[in-house]
Amino acid sequence: MRRQGALLGLGVILFFLLGHLLLPISFASADAGEKKLIFDKAKLLTEEEYAELNTMANEYAAKRDTDFIILTTNNDLNLDVVLITEKFYDTQAPGYDKPHGNTAILTLDMKNREVYLAGFYKAEKYLDDERLDRIRSKITAEFSEGNYRLGFEKFIKTSYKYMGFEPGVDPDNILFNVGFQVIAALVMGGLVVGIMAARTGGRVTVNRHTYENARTSGVVDREDRFIRTSVTKQKIEKSSSSSGGGGGGGGGTTSGGHSHSGSRGSF
Amino acid sequence: MNVIDYKCPSCGSGMVFDSDTGTLTCRSCGRQDNIEQTSDPLGQRTASANEVHEYHCTSCGAVIVAEAETAATTCSFCGSAVVLGDRLSGKLAPGLVIPFSISKEKATQAFKKWCRNGLLTPNKFMEANRIKGVTGVYVPFWLYELHNKVDVQGHATKVRTYTRGDYRYTETDHYDIYRRLQLDYVGVPVDASERLNDQLMDRLEPFPYNQLKSFKTPYLAGYVAEKYSYTDEELLPRAKNKIRDYIEESISASVKGYTSTHLTNKQIDTRVKNTDYCLIPVWLFQYNFNRKIYTFAMNGPTCKVVGKPPLSKVKISAWFAGVFGVTLLALELISWSMGGGFL
Ligand SMILES: [Zn+2]
Ligand SMILES: [Zn+2]
Repeated sequence: MRRQGALLGLGVILFFLLGHLLLPISFASADAGEKKLIFDKAKLLTEEEYAELNTMANEYAAKRDTDFIILTTNNDLNLDVVLITEKFYDTQAPGYDKPHGNTAILTLDMKNREVYLAGFYKAEKYLDDERLDRIRSKITAEFSEGNYRLGFEKFIKTSYKYMGFEPGVDPDNILFNVGFQVIAALVMGGLVVGIMAARTGGRVTVNRHTYENARTSGVVDREDRFIRTSVTKQKIEKSSSSSGGGGGGGGGTTSGGHSHSGSRGSF
Repeated sequence: MNVIDYKCPSCGSGMVFDSDTGTLTCRSCGRQDNIEQTSDPLGQRTASANEVHEYHCTSCGAVIVAEAETAATTCSFCGSAVVLGDRLSGKLAPGLVIPFSISKEKATQAFKKWCRNGLLTPNKFMEANRIKGVTGVYVPFWLYELHNKVDVQGHATKVRTYTRGDYRYTETDHYDIYRRLQLDYVGVPVDASERLNDQLMDRLEPFPYNQLKSFKTPYLAGYVAEKYSYTDEELLPRAKNKIRDYIEESISASVKGYTSTHLTNKQIDTRVKNTDYCLIPVWLFQYNFNRKIYTFAMNGPTCKVVGKPPLSKVKISAWFAGVFGVTLLALELISWSMGGGFL
């Protein structure tokens, strides 16, 4: 009976775990005091797409205390994409917690077809250059193919996801993948029960020493003749940090004095 | 005379082998005869060479119901212990026997205890109150002594890696290896009964060979015994097959210390040094559960039980859910402690 109690407890824990999993879907609250987070000056989104994306950005912002901002521009003044981003931050003073606060910005320069990702304050810490590089490499293809809305959505979702991992941790580590965790747990359950079931019929408890006459058995003759040594050498690949699209250029500091992380590339 | 019985010299009642004292015992007057010191009645008679199809109980004269493999049983009419002498002499004479050393009651208790320990068996089964039949059977086994000369040749490597400058170097030392092993296996048991499942019998091992005795028929009095259905020559392939894995393991153990080994030539010369015909005590249990009969076998001296019990779907699911939950929770905690967040 005590075993049943323990199992019941486990069931309750499982229920909460599942509940936890489904939580992000169930909380799609309406636009109560929505902030403008999408600045689509290049008019890449339809009215509906804009509204949908802005609502989504607001939702995710609340979960990470960080504003996720999308900025598109035709860049008539032909400014550098990093400069556009920094100027935007200095003048608009975005931030979830306060003006000039926690912000992650995606800037799309349609003139030079360049994309820049930047993280300020909490986002600078949780979305460092390397993580921004990874996010950029995941979304660049969407921009190249003109799927802007999808690219923006991916940016918000991936940034949100990565900010759930402590700085310095590999967010793509398979251990953090819930699907992997569930499959590993299923395999483990199957394995344990399978072994238990297989052992119910009685185990084989003899091994090679059971019937061996130890006094007369063993290696009676051996030879290990060295023939030759072969050597191969391989150049050690330096891990290339910025990938694809003529990327490069990490973070910096705005003229207003706000330090940020960054990842730049073309699409 | 093909039927041997054991009449008490004091009172004339039938005597049986008593597993607790290891003596031939009279249940009426309590007389106990040491088996090793008395002469075996089998030795004094010359069993008839021609095959006998009908045996009569020497006590009551009834026909003894016995299958073709049976070498000892009890008369179903009067209960006297009878041994069918012609099935235990000549070519069929066992050399060795491990006598029963625990009583039927103790064996049944041990079996009930085993039933209670099943983690996946239904609770009803664990109550163990429907044991239908308990039979003590002397099962015929061949014990082989097999001497093996093993010669192996092959190629092995030792690999080191180190970095110097911008390069990673891999240095591989190549060796030609040769091993000669002498592997002697003594008392490799192969069950020679046709009736009993080979896999079941294999799992019963090991048998305590320190309890081996020279065969004498009184050890069988009161129990069922079978004669072998297959000769030692016929079963040699099974014996060789049993030691095959042991030989492979010994070979691998002899070439340790390398990064990789590849054997190109392997020669195993197996010689049969000796075979013994031995009767080994096994308790057979018939268990009636949900209108199905389950058979279990118990190693007579060690009480090890083998046989597939029924499995409870409820318990299997519960264990699966439990292990699944604990693993998932553990993985979550690991990922959380690594900074991955809780889901
Ligand atoms: Zn007596
Ligand atoms: Zn009778």
